[in-house]
Amino acid sequence: MGRYILRRAVQAVGTLLLVMLLLHLLTTVAIQLNGNPAQAFFGDKVATPAQIAAVEERFDLDDPCYDQVGNPCLGPFVERLGQYAQGDFGTNLRGREVADIVATAAPNTLRLFCIVLVTWLALGMVLGSVAARWRGSAGDHGIRLTSVLIDAFPVFVLLIVYRYVVAVPLHGWAEDTFGADSWPPYWFKPSFDPDHPWATVLVPGILLGLAGSAAFIRLVRASQLESYQGDHVRTARSKGLVERHVVVHHVVRNSSVPVVTAVGLTFAEALGGAVITEGLMNIYGMGGVLWGAVRDDDVSLVLGVVTLLAAVTVVVMIVVDIAYALLDPRIRYE
Amino acid sequence: MSAPSQAAAPQPVAEETPLLEVTDLAVEFRTAEGTVRAVDGLSYRVEAGRTLAIVGESGSGKSVSSLAVMGLLPPTARVTRGSARLAGTDLLALRPRQHRAYCGERVAMVFQDALAALNPVHTVGYQLTEALRARRGLSRADARARAIELLDLVKVPNARARVKEYPHQFSGGMRQRVMIASALAMDPEVLIADEPTTALDVTVQAQVLQLLAEIQAERRMGLVLITHDLGVVAGVADDVTVMYAGRAVEQAPVGPLYAAPAHPYTRALLRSIPSTAGADRGTRRRLPVIPGRPPSPAARPSGCPFHPRCDVAQDLCRTEVPPLTGPAPARLSACHFAADVLANRPPETGGTHE
Repeated sequence: MGRYILRRAVQAVGTLLLVMLLLHLLTTVAIQLNGNPAQAFFGDKVATPAQIAAVEERFDLDDPCYDQVGNPCLGPFVERLGQYAQGDFGTNLRGREVADIVATAAPNTLRLFCIVLVTWLALGMVLGSVAARWRGSAGDHGIRLTSVLIDAFPVFVLLIVYRYVVAVPLHGWAEDTFGADSWPPYWFKPSFDPDHPWATVLVPGILLGLAGSAAFIRLVRASQLESYQGDHVRTARSKGLVERHVVVHHVVRNSSVPVVTAVGLTFAEALGGAVITEGLMNIYGMGGVLWGAVRDDDVSLVLGVVTLLAAVTVVVMIVVDIAYALLDPRIRYE
Repeated sequence: MSAPSQAAAPQPVAEETPLLEVTDLAVEFRTAEGTVRAVDGLSYRVEAGRTLAIVGESGSGKSVSSLAVMGLLPPTARVTRGSARLAGTDLLALRPRQHRAYCGERVAMVFQDALAALNPVHTVGYQLTEALRARRGLSRADARARAIELLDLVKVPNARARVKEYPHQFSGGMRQRVMIASALAMDPEVLIADEPTTALDVTVQAQVLQLLAEIQAERRMGLVLITHDLGVVAGVADDVTVMYAGRAVEQAPVGPLYAAPAHPYTRALLRSIPSTAGADRGTRRRLPVIPGRPPSPAARPSGCPFHPRCDVAQDLCRTEVPPLTGPAPARLSACHFAADVLANRPPETGGTHE
């Protein structure tokens, strides 16, 4: 098991370096083709060459390779890796530390992800299990129909409807009923409040989780149905175990392996959803920061944020791999 | 057709009260092509300390009949007739929950293909004793001790270390032993073994069968051994039921059945067992095969279901279903010409042996 984890960790570091290199090459090509982003620092103002040179130096964009199309600019890349290793992630165009921005934004995104994950697991496991257990029943058909309906409803539509149609009256009602200082008004607040990060991120998180849960419900149902067909389930029944025991220890337990894999894979996908959710609900999170950074040509910020997201994704993948090995002993001894 | 019942016919063996008595069992499947009768009027009995072999080709209903006894039929299948009395209690008349409670406790089942039949994500020790822990409230330590005991019983070497391992770490033969041990966990009175040696090498097959026979003799269990291989049966069984197309076509003690089969199907099966006798003499004789294929349960032939493949079929066989009757004491055969087959002479055409 220790060797398994070690091997996965080494692979993960390699993956991360590769992602960073690819990212660097992409930004380099973008700079070489589009012109130096140091221009963006001045906005509409016309800057003197000396000013631009100063800005280029400040943001480490002064290497001549950025003017040579096709040059991979490995020098600045290695230099940046060295800075990252020392914990120096640079500053954005306004001079704020990238590490500082991330430290403020990341917790909100993490909160959102926690709620999304819990929603997924709760909805997916409960509805998927019910649909599989009573296959072909009215409940099964209802759950499958619901999952298709959720899929047909894009998350931003869901959020817009919630924000403009549902949230305001609910917020008013909760304030009248429970008082302005109690928790319920914050749950239904139509926009994010940094003083109450958990309460105001709850409903957007649940909605984002709901949108992602449709595929998850179907996956849980399908993998449990396969387990129900398994010979080992018949063996368990032949031992005279009550059905609840059979379902928990032989169906749900066995079908948890593909489910965990799916959680890992969808996690990366949820980043895309987070950009939309954070944007619509005014949540100050990684999605919004990244969106703004790309829009503003803020190279250091883009690189820092994407590197961090890649690192998080790689860590999630390791966790999934370890969970996978814990759940399926056949993986452990390969 | 008239439902053949052993009560009306001579008993093959009746030394003791039957432990498990299946009477006139019929099982139907709902399929896209309509209802299909997989088992149609099967009766057999197993006494304590004796082994009944149920022999048949795939699709003959041998596995389905035992799944019905265990209450493990898939949702598309339904018992339409008959009873399965375990020491007097009709299992098929019980509510599902009560039926389930008999399983494992008093009648247990060994499945074929232990790799699929054991759960890959639980340790062998867990699977051996999960029923004991869940149903009899054994403590973790007691369960572990019992698991080691069970592995010792089925002669798995180094049991103490192996209880912590997973099924995929066992060889095929050892896995099948684990399967057997798991069925024995609650000391059942009747053990149903569904092709327990199918997935194994010939030498391992013999060891596993030997083990089953030993344990059965030691505990005076009733053993139902389901197999498609009549060659496997000779060494271990006391009685044989040969099934064809959902029915018993011949029932007899093993010795007389081998010496003189009373049904053309049994005779053909016996002839198609490879033997080394011919090879020793250097004669090259083609192994006889039974022509044609077993009938699909959805399209059974009229009359005797075996008549299209039978080497002595007469006109009568095409129209009349032969009842299961006794051409001789302790013999039952569902053939119009059972007496002739038993005597190994060509059937008398024109006359029926009713």
